[in-house]
Amino acid sequence: MNDHGYPHEPTGVDTRKLGMWVFLSTEILFFGTLITTYLIFKGRSFDGIRLEEVYDIPFTSVSSFVLLMSSLTMVLAHNAIEKFDQERTNIWLLATALLGAVFLAGQIYEFTEFYHKGFTLTENIYGSTFYVLTGFHGAHVFIGVVLLIILWGVGQRQKGLSLDGGMNLEFIALYWHFVDIVWIVLFTVVYLI
Amino acid sequence: MSQAHKPHPTPKQYVQIAIILGILTAIEVALYYTESIVGVFTDPLLMILAVGKFVIVVGWFMHLRFENKLVNRFFAGGMILALVLFAIVMLERASANFFFS
Repeated sequence: MNDHGYPHEPTGVDTRKLGMWVFLSTEILFFGTLITTYLIFKGRSFDGIRLEEVYDIPFTSVSSFVLLMSSLTMVLAHNAIEKFDQERTNIWLLATALLGAVFLAGQIYEFTEFYHKGFTLTENIYGSTFYVLTGFHGAHVFIGVVLLIILWGVGQRQKGLSLDGGMNLEFIALYWHFVDIVWIVLFTVVYLI
Repeated sequence: MSQAHKPHPTPKQYVQIAIILGILTAIEVALYYTESIVGVFTDPLLMILAVGKFVIVVGWFMHLRFENKLVNRFFAGGMILALVLFAIVMLERASANFFFS
């Protein structure tokens, strides 16, 4: 899997992998649209509570760090499967899923806190764009966690992932890192700026 | 179109990259709390740090810098389209504010 040359493919790239990158390209546009919509309303004045009045930067910073570290465990799982080290692959896959679940739990806690403080989905259009943007990101993380657990389960059931299973791991890794880079942008645009 | 590729980083190098990402995140949070000192440079610096983290994850963790040019073009295409969309919407909003406010 380390050799990316595919002479039998007219494009020189594995078609499935190219398809995954095309999918990620469309996802960039999807989140680009949501971020643009959020930014239209970010600087405007609305009735009701604003995000700046309720958020907790230290808490979100820790969540961001957890998601960043899940990218590390994901890439270590990818590295392990390239060396056919099934045991480490399973450990890193599970660690990635757990870190993703911790991030999700943090987001659910954060949303609950915001809701109790009065910053709700229907408070104003700014609140709506915030919840749609970060909610869709959370949904992507949830899908990623489910995919990781399924892949880990397949590895456990088959006593290790096959070469094809390794390719699936590479696709899930690409998806997971993509979810991470979206959060890198969201953390800065939504919380810090 | 098949081409020779550079070897992927080792696990030790991945950990070093993750430490750099962690440090950049810490700097971001520090900048947020020192906005009164850093002043107008805070937002541009935050943007630069975010772009830096983005490039590191895409280049090294997603292995884009080791990939075929076609894959790079698809990813760059998505990014450019998203930025064009952003620019068009912001221009539209700016002109609407200018003419109708």
